[in-house]
Amino acid sequence: MPVFKTPFNGYSVKFSPFYENRLAVATAQNFGILGNGRVHVLDLASGPVPAPMSELASFDTADGVYDIAWSESHDNLFIAAIADGSLKLYDLYLPPPANPARSLAEHTREVHSVDWNPTRRDSFLSSSWDDTIKLWTLDRPASVRTFKEHVYCVYSAAWNPRHSDVFASASGDCTVRVWDVREPGSTMIIPAHDHEILSCDWNKYDDCLLVTGSVDKTVRVWDVRNFRVPLAVLSGHGYAVRKVKFSPHRRNMIMSCSYDMKVCIWDFMVEDALIGRYDHHTEFAVGIDMSVLVEGLLASTGIPQSDANWFAHAEYIQLFAEE
Amino acid sequence: MATQSAPPNPPAENPTGYQESKQAGVDEGQTMAEGPKEASPKSVFVNSQPIREDQVQNAVSFLSHPRVRGSPVVHRRNFLERKGLTKEEIDEAFRRVPDPSPAVASGQSSTYQDAQGMPSTNIQTQPQAIQPVTAAPSGVMSTMTRKFHWSHAVLAVGFLAISGAGTAIVFKLLQNAVVPRFKSWIRRVVLDEDDVLEKRTAGKPNLAEEAAAAAKAAAAAAADVAKASQEMVITKNEEKKCFSEFMALLDVQLQEIRTMRNAIAKLEVCVVDCGTLVTSTRMGNHTLLEEALSEKSIWMAQYHVHCDKWTESQSLILDQIMEMVQRGERPPNVRDIDDRPPNPNQPISNPSLAPRAKPWQVLQSASSASYVPQPQVTSNGSSYTAQDYGVSYQLNNDSSIPWRQQRNARITEIENGDRSMFGSGSNGTVSIDLPTQRRWVPPQPPPVSMPEAAVAIRQPKSSIPKDFNVRAEDAAKPITEVDELQKITKISELGGQLDVNGRTGSSEIITSEIQEQVTEL
Repeated sequence: MPVFKTPFNGYSVKFSPFYENRLAVATAQNFGILGNGRVHVLDLASGPVPAPMSELASFDTADGVYDIAWSESHDNLFIAAIADGSLKLYDLYLPPPANPARSLAEHTREVHSVDWNPTRRDSFLSSSWDDTIKLWTLDRPASVRTFKEHVYCVYSAAWNPRHSDVFASASGDCTVRVWDVREPGSTMIIPAHDHEILSCDWNKYDDCLLVTGSVDKTVRVWDVRNFRVPLAVLSGHGYAVRKVKFSPHRRNMIMSCSYDMKVCIWDFMVEDALIGRYDHHTEFAVGIDMSVLVEGLLASTGIPQSDANWFAHAEYIQLFAEE
Repeated sequence: MATQSAPPNPPAENPTGYQESKQAGVDEGQTMAEGPKEASPKSVFVNSQPIREDQVQNAVSFLSHPRVRGSPVVHRRNFLERKGLTKEEIDEAFRRVPDPSPAVASGQSSTYQDAQGMPSTNIQTQPQAIQPVTAAPSGVMSTMTRKFHWSHAVLAVGFLAISGAGTAIVFKLLQNAVVPRFKSWIRRVVLDEDDVLEKRTAGKPNLAEEAAAAAKAAAAAAADVAKASQEMVITKNEEKKCFSEFMALLDVQLQEIRTMRNAIAKLEVCVVDCGTLVTSTRMGNHTLLEEALSEKSIWMAQYHVHCDKWTESQSLILDQIMEMVQRGERPPNVRDIDDRPPNPNQPISNPSLAPRAKPWQVLQSASSASYVPQPQVTSNGSSYTAQDYGVSYQLNNDSSIPWRQQRNARITEIENGDRSMFGSGSNGTVSIDLPTQRRWVPPQPPPVSMPEAAVAIRQPKSSIPKDFNVRAEDAAKPITEVDELQKITKISELGGQLDVNGRTGSSEIITSEIQEQVTEL
């Protein structure tokens, strides 16, 4: 399976919604604690044999990059969430020295995640450790709205795949909130876990289902119509669950990654929910993504457990097709 | 590109809006019978369950607790949220509990601290708050404001003490100065008997009178001093009492602080939300972020002890980095990078591809298909490459099928005319019952050198046996060598031609015919 080694620690990987072979990786130096960052735009070889991924472009940043989101309206744009609290817009059609095209600096703490609206395609959300979520559009230099209700870091915000004004946010204050951008505040508060919630995602085929992953090592599925009791509690990870994602192709399939170095595939409607597990990571898988364009194409990135060289860590982005 | 200010629901007067109508179309198919539901304009993403009175009662009793009243409002809200109360229930509980505004409490606490120099200022050096701790003392201090007048008492006592000391000094002066003077004066008078008798006789009664007067004055002064000292003793007693009471109150407060601290320590163990007690650096948050369990040091332990896959070197590196950060140093591999946009006003390049529909969007009913805005198709299709659409158009070169498709071929559907919908090529698509409506029109595929081959591949195989049978009938005729040769040459000539004998041939059919011919012979 294709592997790309990055000099820094991988934090997030995202497939391009326009090009099947393209993906972007967010990396940060020194485990993301203190140091520079870099975004790699990679191309999967499409030849008959699996070849290493090639790098189309890379962009250096002063601080670590925690997340990236491809634009749904422009095939050449992506947003990077930077640890210094800014969001940077990169344009692949501009020559590299002309990038970044924009820098949006409003958050007062690290921006942990960024998500582009897949239905309206013109707006995106940024979640930050300053307890707020901000809504942006490309044509405005300032944020359109700020959602401030969480009392601790917001680790992730995800747009509903069908309702273009609804999104969910997961926070370290142990709640998940459902918001509607037309409303002044959150419309729903789900105390999903007893510990910090690191990730959330919507079901692409049932717009009322949410999945959350938490420090308590479980992945839980919720129905917003009856949010007091989880639909499913998926246990199996040995450490905190870092990221969860619903499959864009299968209704009940969830992908999760954890600090136990495993990437797990679940089907929450089945008695024995764990339907797949990828153990061949040699890293703490921190970011995962499933390609919307190619079913079965998965990517993951993380922090390696080998390579002793202090100044030249090698990280692995592994791409593997689902069996 | 649509902006946030102009959402796609042009009828602003329509409360249901663009999204709601879609959602009504989508959700009505789903089970909406559960729970009390309001009319369809209400979004399903809003909590529509009624307020639970028992939960509100619990919240009210929680909020009425004196210790809770001193904590910040956001912490109280968060606690109730984590208990599962809805926003409406929390608001109702807050409404029912008269809440002394936190501003007043903190104001009083600050003035109190200014007057007293409370030891709680030590606690308050951690700004992000030991907020419960500081707020609790501020709450406690509000009760202590009643004791404010103790400072007055102290001042009064001090004044009295000073006055007492003053009278004592006066008395001493009297003793030291007036009385010796009187004595010496008497001595002088006694020793001066030789003086003029008249003076003596005249002075004696004067002396006696003056002595008497002085004695009276001294006695009066002594009485006053005695009174004052008595009063001083009384006030001292009172002061002692006040001080002892004051000390008792201090002890009580100290105990309360201790219990608060214990409670917080307990909370610390249970809740990972320790950021309130840790200086809010990224390292602190990163540590919390990376915790697998609630204890703080598990991250390090995870790398060192529990996770045997983590090598010694990596954990050493992590230790080194964290130490450097704690010391405020910068690791040596960090460079100064200027990542500011060189031209923030530069226009963003135009896209060259239209947005693609998502797999789950396609499965929606056609009526809701208008989610996808009109694709912005760009000018010419010549910029498209076959690469962009993956393997859609690789029919003319089988060997270039990517390894992904080769591997996945067995699990995907091949017979599907809509395979090009998502550009996912011969992988097939999500399901067979796709709507035929296409919102995204793919550009012209690259020209195929053998169009009849492309067509024939798409055709079901059942047509071939038919042709085959027809050909077999022809083969039944007597064949001479010449004929065979002619046929073979004819077949070779077929290579680039269409419609031989009114049939659309194909390389496969020709091949099979040749084979048939060979076997016949």
